[in-house]
Amino acid sequence: MAGTIWVVAETNADGSLAKSSTEVATLARSLADAAGGQAAGIVVASDPSAAAEELAGYVARVVAVAEPAAEGNAWAQVAAQRAAAILTSESPAVVLTGAGPDGRDVAGTLAALLDRPVLVNATAVAWEGSGPSVQMSVFGGKLITTSAFADGEWGIITLRPNVVTAEKAALAGAVENLAPETELSLPLVKIVERIDEAAAALPIEEARVIVAGGRGVGGEEGFALVQQIADALGGAVGATRAAVDSGWIPYAQQIGQTGKIVKPQLYLALGISGAIQHKVGMQTAGTIIGVNRDPDAPIAEFADLVVVGDLFEVGRALLAELAARS
Amino acid sequence: MPLRIVVLTKPVPDPAAAAERLGPDGRLDRTASPSVINGNDEYVLEAALKLVEAHEGEVTLLSMAPPNGLDTMRKGLAMGAHRGVLITDPALAGSDYGSTIAALVAALGQLEFDLVLAGFDTSDGVGGVIGAAVATKLGLPYLSSAAKIEPDPGAGTVRVRRISPAGFDVLEAPMPALIVGTQLLGEPRYPSLKGIMAARSKEVATKSAADLALDAGSIGGDAARTKVTGQEKPPARGATEVVRGTPEEGAKAIADLLASRRLI
Amino acid sequence: MADAAPSTYRLTEEQLLLRDTLRQLADERIAPRAAEIDRSGEFPEDIRQLLASQDVLALPFPEEYGGVGADLLTQCLAIEQIARACTTSSLILSVQGLGSLPILLGGTEEQKARFIPDLASGKKLIAFALTEPEAGSDAAAARTRAVRDGDDYVLDGGKRFITNGSVADVISVFAVTDSNADTPRHRRLSCFAVEVPTPGFSVDRLEHKLGIRGSPTAELSFDKVRVPAANRIGEEGEGWKLAMGTFDRSRPGIAAQAVGIAQGALEVAIDYARTRKQFGQRIGELQMIQALLADMDAKVESARQLTYKAAVEIDAGARDAARWASLAKLVAGDNAMAVTTDAVQVLGGYGYTDDYPVERMMRDAKITQLYEGTQQIQRLVIARSLLGKPD
Repeated sequence: MAGTIWVVAETNADGSLAKSSTEVATLARSLADAAGGQAAGIVVASDPSAAAEELAGYVARVVAVAEPAAEGNAWAQVAAQRAAAILTSESPAVVLTGAGPDGRDVAGTLAALLDRPVLVNATAVAWEGSGPSVQMSVFGGKLITTSAFADGEWGIITLRPNVVTAEKAALAGAVENLAPETELSLPLVKIVERIDEAAAALPIEEARVIVAGGRGVGGEEGFALVQQIADALGGAVGATRAAVDSGWIPYAQQIGQTGKIVKPQLYLALGISGAIQHKVGMQTAGTIIGVNRDPDAPIAEFADLVVVGDLFEVGRALLAELAARS
Repeated sequence: MPLRIVVLTKPVPDPAAAAERLGPDGRLDRTASPSVINGNDEYVLEAALKLVEAHEGEVTLLSMAPPNGLDTMRKGLAMGAHRGVLITDPALAGSDYGSTIAALVAALGQLEFDLVLAGFDTSDGVGGVIGAAVATKLGLPYLSSAAKIEPDPGAGTVRVRRISPAGFDVLEAPMPALIVGTQLLGEPRYPSLKGIMAARSKEVATKSAADLALDAGSIGGDAARTKVTGQEKPPARGATEVVRGTPEEGAKAIADLLASRRLI
Repeated sequence: MADAAPSTYRLTEEQLLLRDTLRQLADERIAPRAAEIDRSGEFPEDIRQLLASQDVLALPFPEEYGGVGADLLTQCLAIEQIARACTTSSLILSVQGLGSLPILLGGTEEQKARFIPDLASGKKLIAFALTEPEAGSDAAAARTRAVRDGDDYVLDGGKRFITNGSVADVISVFAVTDSNADTPRHRRLSCFAVEVPTPGFSVDRLEHKLGIRGSPTAELSFDKVRVPAANRIGEEGEGWKLAMGTFDRSRPGIAAQAVGIAQGALEVAIDYARTRKQFGQRIGELQMIQALLADMDAKVESARQLTYKAAVEIDAGARDAARWASLAKLVAGDNAMAVTTDAVQVLGGYGYTDDYPVERMMRDAKITQLYEGTQQIQRLVIARSLLGKPD
């Protein structure tokens, strides 16, 4: 028996399970199957019940910790301390978290509390022999490395979003409720105010289709056309750093080395040359289409289709074409 | 009250040079590619410089790197940092996260500071776990994903706007604290030429493993608890179809491809 | 013997950092503006502010007057990096140096303290006015006159082809103070720092040019312009000497500008050769293209090395400073013209359009063969240095 593959899950503001955690849990189960072990999860929240129930749809065993301090304070370190207490009394084979902002914070804190090695931002994880074999995309996607923990070590892995398709288990697992007993040792960081800001309707990391604009879009008015095409395709709007720096579109929409890394099924790039800094954020998209005046722009090196022409003319023609076909 | 800020910076292979590769030992071949300050670190350095401009104080750069890490640190000094501490020791080559964290923790233990700032992640490995681990080891309040940093030196506290799915959470903690910043902190400045000229006279202290009282057996490549077992180039995508013609022909080509791949 | 060992033949760490910083600044902030500056023909005030805020305009000035105190080689590195992105923008720095040199070379402490800090901070711009409609290469034939009248001089005449003449706050004007036929031509001129606007001074027109289109080239007229005697730079009759001393130090800057233009064009050509496909292969795989690129690189690098060497020799006070300055400008200007022309050739039809920057670079390169002494004048200077002056 290889021990247990553990997941430290994240929750949404409404108490439901985060999408990234469904992916991490799916991976945990497939690793457990390959290793002949069990997949288990930890949910730490002021009210963990909904997320724990959901997580049990993916893994055999869920420990739900009702932690009042998880509300009103920065969550990750509180959760990591509770998770660490559980993991010390178990014999984990590996611990998985998401590679988003909260997942990283949990992983870093766990690594320090448990003195365990970490492998970060995995794009694929397989079970080989007695441990996980972890693929990582490094140097902005220019190289894929495979890494493992040293013999006899178990460690923590953060998983990149969108690299695993979430899939529920045939049988739901069991939920155990655990009341925290010990004091939290790390300093609490309190949340003194929450500021809601009209965010994009759909976070671009989770969009199936992204229509993105670059410098060639020329301004906020140009992005109206990008939005129209995104609406017609049921997708989200993305942008290059140049467009964001010009103030045409918020930073939340920025894709690339200095923005978000996305993996949609379709990436439609309008007026984007495809410079390396942007490419690293979207090169793993399923289908990549570029519309560009310059037939020799770098995007022609990695797109499936490049239409040479003015993005406004082609964009408007595309809207007409899509309307005609629907 | 002046602020004492330590900024963690890492030299990374220049992403623009696109020449990164690993040597046969699975470690970065540093001869293949010029080093630059990790891009995200420049954003927190910019934030640190603005803070000491507003509150007075000093910015210290802290890096763990081979000896030529001095060259990349020089840029941070030219941007306006006041001094540097470079952790460098052949024994640290091949360090995994564990030894890197141990070295940074030991070096910070020898410095006095109100804030430690770190970038969101590094462009080479995209890990973003060092900040949380260092804060945990030092028992410092940890504030991450910062879009804005507002210290109140009089009260001895710091407020951070943390990016949340709904907008921002405003966090507050006593100083000293460790903060991981994002690019929303604002564009880094270019070093001014006077800054470059001034950089030469700024002090950079180098620290060996022994200076930091690190146990030789627990650091560096031999003590690494992760190992690289393979590397490969990402698979090339298929051939690119290029369509030239009227906008309508272009639009039809796009719609045809989308239809054939069931994307519409 | 260690003491006698030559100083390093490589750039210092500081020079490298400065070069790389300016390259990044030029790539990110100046290159994206270059096509628009060329198209509109407007002086890029935003780039002037940028260069001022980064202390770039402070480079040529001593630290005690708010400058950076950079040596000539470092100034050349800066001009080269800016010109690589936009020649017009590099001229802002070049001309700030050119116009100030008479003051730095011949000005009193009082004059330096009065003029230099605002020039170093970029708050004020300065121009250099020697050329006249009838006195181009033969600058000593200038007709603009300055007549002493009490505590002032009164200037009358006109200047032509004055870079930044319409945007400058101060102009170093060369005028005849001694028209006695017995006085040797080279002792007739004096230099004045004219603060504008001032009554009688006007900008009559701006030239429509082939290149450096965002850099205003002005025709200026002086109609009884009163200039305080305290603004005379150097003694009466020292104008020619100041002008020539200025060129010794400014010509390497023009050479550096030419190197930058050529390097910019070479990089566009390399990038194009790497990506453009013809006959089923990247054109960079064609030997004819490879040979073109190799020759271009050889021309750029030889011009660069000569320019750097000239800068170091001139700074070291070489006796044949004029020869070094002219050698650098001659070779760099001709090579820039050749390299930019070849870059257009590599890009073929695209290179001839404004979809790519090489046609602009080719137009800009031409000026480096013309201003601060045509290539013919450079040859004259070099030959005189070889053969000795006829008189």
